[in-house]
Amino acid sequence: MADALVEFLAAAVRIATPLLFAALGGILSERAGVFAVGLEGMMLAGAFAGVVATYGTGMAAVGILASIAGGMMLAAVVAVATTRFRADQMVTGLAVNILAIGLTSFLLRGLGARGEAPTIRVTTLPPLAVPWLGDLPFVGPVLFRQPALTYAAVALTVVMFVFLVRTRPGLTLRAVGENPTAVFAVGGDPVRVRVTAVVAGGALAGLAGAVLSLQQVGTFTDGMTHGRGYLALAAIIVGRWMPGGALVGCLVFGAADALQLRVQAIRLPVSSYVIQMLPYIVSLAVLAGLGRSARLPAAIGAPFVRERR
Amino acid sequence: MLRMTGISKSFGSVRANRDIELVVPAQRIVGLLGENGSGKTTLMNILFGMVRPDAGRIEFDGRRLEGHTPREALAAGIGMIHQHFMLVPAMTVTENVMLGWAETGRWLHPVAVAARIREASMAYGLDLAPGSVVGSLSLGAQQRVEIIKAILRGARLLVLDEPTSSLSPPEVSGLLDVLRRLRAEGRSVIFISHKLGEILDVCDEVVVLRDGEVTGRAEVAGVGRQDLARMMVERDVTAPLERVIRQPGHERLVVNELTVRDAGGIMRLRGLSFSVRAGEVLALAGVDGNGQAELADVIAGLARPESGHVFVDGADVTWGGVAARLAAGLGHVPADRATEGLVREMTVAENLALRDFDRPPLRRGPWLDGSAIRARAVERMAEYDIRAGDDESLVATLSGGNQQKIVLARELGRRPTVLLAVQPTRGLDPGATRFVIERVLALREAGAAVLYISTELEEALGVGDRIGVLHAGRLVGVMPRAGADVTRIGLMMAGVLDEAPGAEALYGTSPA
Amino acid sequence: MSARPLAMSLLAVVLAFAASALLIAAAGKNPLVAYGALLQGSLGSADRIAVALNKATPYLLTGVGVALCFRARIINIGGEGQIALGGLAATWVALRFPQAPAVVLPALALGAGALAGALWAGLAAVIRLRRGVHEVLVTLLLNFVGVLIVSEALQGDLGELGAGFPQSPLFARSAWLPRLIPNTDLHLGIVLAAAAVIVAHIVLWRTPFGFRVRILGASVPAAAYVGISPARTFLSVMLLAGGLAGAAGAVEVLGVHYRLIEGFATGFGFNAVAIALLAALNPMAVLPAGLFFGFLETGALAMQRAVGVPSPLVAVIQGLTMVFVLSAMGLTAGRERV
Repeated sequence: MADALVEFLAAAVRIATPLLFAALGGILSERAGVFAVGLEGMMLAGAFAGVVATYGTGMAAVGILASIAGGMMLAAVVAVATTRFRADQMVTGLAVNILAIGLTSFLLRGLGARGEAPTIRVTTLPPLAVPWLGDLPFVGPVLFRQPALTYAAVALTVVMFVFLVRTRPGLTLRAVGENPTAVFAVGGDPVRVRVTAVVAGGALAGLAGAVLSLQQVGTFTDGMTHGRGYLALAAIIVGRWMPGGALVGCLVFGAADALQLRVQAIRLPVSSYVIQMLPYIVSLAVLAGLGRSARLPAAIGAPFVRERR
Repeated sequence: MLRMTGISKSFGSVRANRDIELVVPAQRIVGLLGENGSGKTTLMNILFGMVRPDAGRIEFDGRRLEGHTPREALAAGIGMIHQHFMLVPAMTVTENVMLGWAETGRWLHPVAVAARIREASMAYGLDLAPGSVVGSLSLGAQQRVEIIKAILRGARLLVLDEPTSSLSPPEVSGLLDVLRRLRAEGRSVIFISHKLGEILDVCDEVVVLRDGEVTGRAEVAGVGRQDLARMMVERDVTAPLERVIRQPGHERLVVNELTVRDAGGIMRLRGLSFSVRAGEVLALAGVDGNGQAELADVIAGLARPESGHVFVDGADVTWGGVAARLAAGLGHVPADRATEGLVREMTVAENLALRDFDRPPLRRGPWLDGSAIRARAVERMAEYDIRAGDDESLVATLSGGNQQKIVLARELGRRPTVLLAVQPTRGLDPGATRFVIERVLALREAGAAVLYISTELEEALGVGDRIGVLHAGRLVGVMPRAGADVTRIGLMMAGVLDEAPGAEALYGTSPA
Repeated sequence: MSARPLAMSLLAVVLAFAASALLIAAAGKNPLVAYGALLQGSLGSADRIAVALNKATPYLLTGVGVALCFRARIINIGGEGQIALGGLAATWVALRFPQAPAVVLPALALGAGALAGALWAGLAAVIRLRRGVHEVLVTLLLNFVGVLIVSEALQGDLGELGAGFPQSPLFARSAWLPRLIPNTDLHLGIVLAAAAVIVAHIVLWRTPFGFRVRILGASVPAAAYVGISPARTFLSVMLLAGGLAGAAGAVEVLGVHYRLIEGFATGFGFNAVAIALLAALNPMAVLPAGLFFGFLETGALAMQRAVGVPSPLVAVIQGLTMVFVLSAMGLTAGRERV
């Protein structure tokens, strides 16, 4: 019983990892005032790039770099369209998601014979046991025997918190999301900040994809992100656009997913589908509960237009 | 310290600044006095680098300032406190101060900055807690955050643009104290305002602007209020338009004890009461920002008052929304014709139908009667001489004058019993302006009551049977047009004179 | 109706095709041949055209609803959930009343589907209006919940035991949507879709309600000035859009699959958004836009089989088209007839 619990919690952490990377990337984008609806597509692009690069070079490190690049490229599309062309942020995100599904599936088949999708297999990243801490009872297997990228995600959460709250660039980024005119009035460049934030967010979302394809599954399949990008969005909101809050949100969603996979074994009287619904219903409930007080970055969604007073 | 010479700037055909000269020595508070459209804001925008002048020179501390950006102006030591604050409401005072302040490097040092904020706050009597969230502060406190930002960045010249429009009286005197302290330690201030009283209170020198020109300059110590008011409003008052003198009829629009507070909690209308009678025009003059917008919104049904009532033709419409007003016979020509009164991306015909498309004859059962709509459009276009391609043209393609004609045609075409007209001639050429006024007077002939709100004093004098002056949310004077004294009105607009008009004046029981 | 936004949509499509042609070329195939195969596969025979029209039908129905939403400043991406639940409701009726006559039963099932979709959209609208949560988030989350509800239902009474895949039993013939042209695959749905497009156009341009929607979409201050209640308009439009989406789901279930299959609604919602944008929010233009998507997707598999160009290229074209149209819309905001 205790073993099953440990296993369940470890799985929750594992499953939460890609969500967390995506959520952190989304926080960068949204805090700067750009809706991160395109996380799903960026994740997918990263997942694909990661697998292909690892397969091609045999090196996981190259794969990880490729996944970051993949996410960034798609993010660049969003950044340019929304800032330079003032396209609607939400719908552009959707468009990029559709684009990503098409591109990744297309390119995947392009690598196979006669347009068929090949099965690419790469070895998944192994878990990295932290010496001594990994041997602790209960806590050890749950927290300290996870693959490398999971540790990176948690570390990144802390780093992002420090960045947002304690550094000048972080302050500027937050200010752009709240009142870009104020930043402009003190000589800043809100457009450049937004573009940077969106692309950096895309890098993290790409990394999230790498976690999915390289760390968890070892291959790429069509649309393998399965809506996780949107779930990351929900985690951002539930976490009030703070890295720590998003971490908690992702863990909760990870737990729900882990639970849903094990519901047969545990023989709960609830269907697995209902459990799968939980993350979404919980998000809705939290959103509805927060109501109008859900403190969105004030300037999100609106393109920054330089006004002549 | 500052020398601006020969500054000229035109926006299209409007000459906002005409060869203006402004000198501000060190340790002085100079007041810039003028009404709306006098060119004060343009001049300051030029100083701060947000607008390029067509001609002229700016010298600050002996250095020439040319083609500079706001950032460079800041670096040179000019601090601008805008009317609309450039703050981030969700962040604390400390964070707002740290924003864009490169001096503190890559890592934020909130503790150190907070200490400096506290220090400056004490030194200048600003009363600011570094950790408070700006959004929760009063507008007066927010303004002080802007001031502290300027001080900490080493601004030696501070420019305040209409700083007291959103302050309560104690906050105003607090601000003036702060300015005196700044002066005491060698800094200078440019104080832009239309409020004579404050200018006389705190400034050493006052420069009067009107229509883009300097019409007067004086040491505050030696000048009288009357003189300044005259410099501000003196003009050749054109002969008022021909009209039939008649006895006004029964009260058609009654406003009773109207009190309105804005989102920040500041009182915008203070127990306003007046009425307008059938067959007369009550023109409300006053500088923009003294409650006109709030009054118009409440009367039109776009906002609700905190307390008080609005009666249109006897019906209490206060909480009835726009629908109740329309039913009672109110017509509204809004200040913002392009975004509020019209839908620019729709046709002339559709805009003319905007008010009653939901009713016969424009509506037939569940359908819009297209031919009825068009017929009406053709009719109105002829009647009001609306120059457009045809009734299917997009309103966006029409000139300002023609756009306003559409609004007029629509509102007046409904034969309203009460007309609320807010800045109806803004941005119109003289021909269009005359047209508008003629139509308004025609409506008056027909027995409607007209409330005409305008920041153009001349116009108010030309149109109104009674002239009222709005200042800080109160009617500080109402008088019949015959024998109205421009100087007195100027003093009222500047907040110096408050006649506390009696019932006779407010409700029009005295003959025009 | 202004031709400019439609011209821009056309330009966007052309650019998207051009960009995708580069991809095809990079994959070592001839773009012209590939596009030729695409055309053949969708227009090459009566059969193919029938399939394409069938495919376009749910896009048209849902796209019209989404276009109306956009007109009223509502971003409704809940199509997938609304379609799924519409299919569920239609399935329930079809399985419950197999004895009903062959014309009445599909009609009833369609109605049930429309109702279910409308209610689901209405739920999103209420959450948005009462609690101030942005409709994009609400409709998005409800998508997932709606789809999962369908999956759950298929595990219960509605599911077919022993099938390798979650699906319902086959419907009785009386429930099947009649064919438009006998001996072809083309079912009546396309007529419904065309009717929806025309009705939407008429409502938007000839009724007071449509006028109100257009005013609200053009200018919020003007809408306030006229006295239009944004909340009431919001709810009405959402109910309408949900009803159309639900009907689309019913059509799919009654006319194409003859049963409820898990995941049958995948991707429809987002494609509807793309179509609405392509149509520059004009109901009439949704017709060519939806047909375009339908033909594109029908030809995709044929293109893959004939030339070896993978069918997901179509999604690339769709995504690129959307990005280009959005960019063009962003640049020209406020200058076109509303």
